Amino acid sequence: MALRGFLRGFKPFELISENQVEQIHEGTLDVLAKAGVKIYNDEALNVFKKNGCAVDFDTNLVCFPPALVEDCLRRCPSSFRVKSRNPDHDLVLGLDHTVFFNFPGRDIVDLSTGDSRTATRQEYIDLVRVLDALPTVHFLNNYPYFGYQGIPENMKEMEGAAIRLAHSTKVTMEIANNDIDRFTFRMAKAIGTEIFANPNTSSPLTCYTDQTNACFLAAEYDLPSMIWDGATTGSTAPASVAGAVISGNAEVIPYIVLLQLLRPGARVAVANLVLPQNMKTGAPAFGDISVSLHLAAYNQVWRRYGIPMVASSSGVSNAKVIGFQLAYEKTIPSLIAAISGSSAVQIHSSVYGEISAHPVQAVLDDDIANMIGRFLGGIEVDEDSMAVDMINEVGPIPGHFLGQAHTRRWWSREQVMTKSADRLTYPEWKNGGKKTDVDYARERMEEILSSHRVEPPLTDGEQGEIEKILKEAREHFRKNDLISSAEWSEYMKTLKEEGRA
Amino acid sequence: MTDEQKGILDKLRKAIFEYNAELARVSAQKAIELGIGPVEAMNVMTVAIREIGEAFGTGELWLPDLIGASDAMQGATPVLEEEIRKQGAHREILGKVVAGTVFGDIHNIGKTMVTTLLTAAGFEVDDLGVSIKADAFIEAVQKNEADLVAMSALMTTTMTEQEKVIESLKSKGIRERVKVMVGGAAVTEEFAGDIGADGYDPTAPGAVQLAERLLGKGK
Repeated sequence: MALRGFLRGFKPFELISENQVEQIHEGTLDVLAKAGVKIYNDEALNVFKKNGCAVDFDTNLVCFPPALVEDCLRRCPSSFRVKSRNPDHDLVLGLDHTVFFNFPGRDIVDLSTGDSRTATRQEYIDLVRVLDALPTVHFLNNYPYFGYQGIPENMKEMEGAAIRLAHSTKVTMEIANNDIDRFTFRMAKAIGTEIFANPNTSSPLTCYTDQTNACFLAAEYDLPSMIWDGATTGSTAPASVAGAVISGNAEVIPYIVLLQLLRPGARVAVANLVLPQNMKTGAPAFGDISVSLHLAAYNQVWRRYGIPMVASSSGVSNAKVIGFQLAYEKTIPSLIAAISGSSAVQIHSSVYGEISAHPVQAVLDDDIANMIGRFLGGIEVDEDSMAVDMINEVGPIPGHFLGQAHTRRWWSREQVMTKSADRLTYPEWKNGGKKTDVDYARERMEEILSSHRVEPPLTDGEQGEIEKILKEAREHFRKNDLISSAEWSEYMKTLKEEGRA
Repeated sequence: MTDEQKGILDKLRKAIFEYNAELARVSAQKAIELGIGPVEAMNVMTVAIREIGEAFGTGELWLPDLIGASDAMQGATPVLEEEIRKQGAHREILGKVVAGTVFGDIHNIGKTMVTTLLTAAGFEVDDLGVSIKADAFIEAVQKNEADLVAMSALMTTTMTEQEKVIESLKSKGIRERVKVMVGGAAVTEEFAGDIGADGYDPTAPGAVQLAERLLGKGK
């Protein structure tokens, strides 16, 4: 058993022609060969130099020969498995399947006011447990929230990783900032699970030290990598979709080349968090329709390379509260991403941008993911589904299909019974307390929190190993002045209150 | 003023509205050759950029227009500033700003947007760049005799660096001499208050208004 998500039963949606895909590919090779990419990592520069790239060690600029790029793209597997400590939760990514996962928010949002604040440790655990329970969450992002109260900034991610590893058996991932991943990879290894490395690009055309280090770590631990590109079109990338695909791909490919040079056949996926710039505020224009256009064109190009691609920009909205705008700004790009071939679509739990999230939203998103998943399944057109004989038999009114065995067999294959949508008639709704989708989602969340058990739970030995690595990380960051004295004393107080000092 | 002088100032103004840095530079050079005062030429550009700013405010123009006009102005500014220095003339500015993205954070765009708009509004800005250590902020504040420090941080892991800069300003005894404003995706009003900043704004245009308010130049 493994989590594979939904199988697409039809040819993926194509926005551009095959010839245009080739033009974008050629454009990418041109940028990699002429402009090159600045890579602030001496070890990587040496690897690139040794393999025929033009490397300027003074400016950190690397220009890539097209043949090397194409060779490394070919070495990537088109599908791969990521191991969980619960084999039923192994993740299989790629080819014609689409999985879903959560998009983070820094804070927990108050559902009635839209105000956000740092989550408590219990709220962090609750969201992880809800994500573990929801059937359409196939793996977990590197955060649900950006840490919780009482934790220094530089330990928030790692303390959060410890919670994710303990309270979910679904595969998760880890960012590379400040070499946090050095510790988290060891935690994952200690409990027998794999975790995605997360090298991030910096736009335009730059790869920084710790992000590039993540490739070396992934190769050392033989872990899969999900390479994230988060350019903003109109400021850090061209405003045109085609140009943004080219510049974004030119940023991602150096990491792919490095990974394949370090470990041929390394498991790699690419993630697209490219968003347009809001030309009024300067913030990203979450939920704009150009997000969908970019995802569709990007997917076509990466299908040519046969490398699993992840839709991340699909999971963000500019709405501050749960409602109409939030739903359409997440659903449209998620659907477009899925039908154009995304291997993974990020959708669950986020409310506003990367700023806020809530488990109730994750439950609502479970319905969206299920509906998209059903659409991906397509329809059957054969003797049974066409039902010509039955239509002839039933004939005109007063004939009907409700009593037909065919109906009993088919209706639930075609429809999705959503769990949180209000599907009542008006009198039922009025007499039933006028419940909304959010009310139903809250009830389902509460039911999950009262009944869900993570299987298997961590053993005392495994939990002890994680705590040991966390302790080492705390001391390392304190020693390197990445935790201030004030943060340290609050942190120690928090750990004492949690009984973990 | 001769017709030729008027014509060249019109060209300078047109260069700003057409976002043409090269035309601005050439026109500024020509204006000096024709004996136009560099402060007067600078004022023509300031008026043009203010009109563009107002059009941005009413929704007729957008950030790319604002940045394009500012870049055009930057084409002519070095030429005119050099002449101002040569002539020992005096130019009115709204204030001196030291700006940068804090140490450990390499996000450039938000900070550049703010520095561009500050420059366009009439501030003199020393843009230190990205991943700037507290010591470098202090050194620039002292060197420029700055009125305002503007710090950006996109990530939660780096926004605490903003506090380090404020602490360093205090330890050097110069905190009272400068105003401090902070911004960036991770920063909140509450955080800005906690670390002792004088102001916070979530948007680049808002940051300009904040800077004006902090230095008592608000409209």
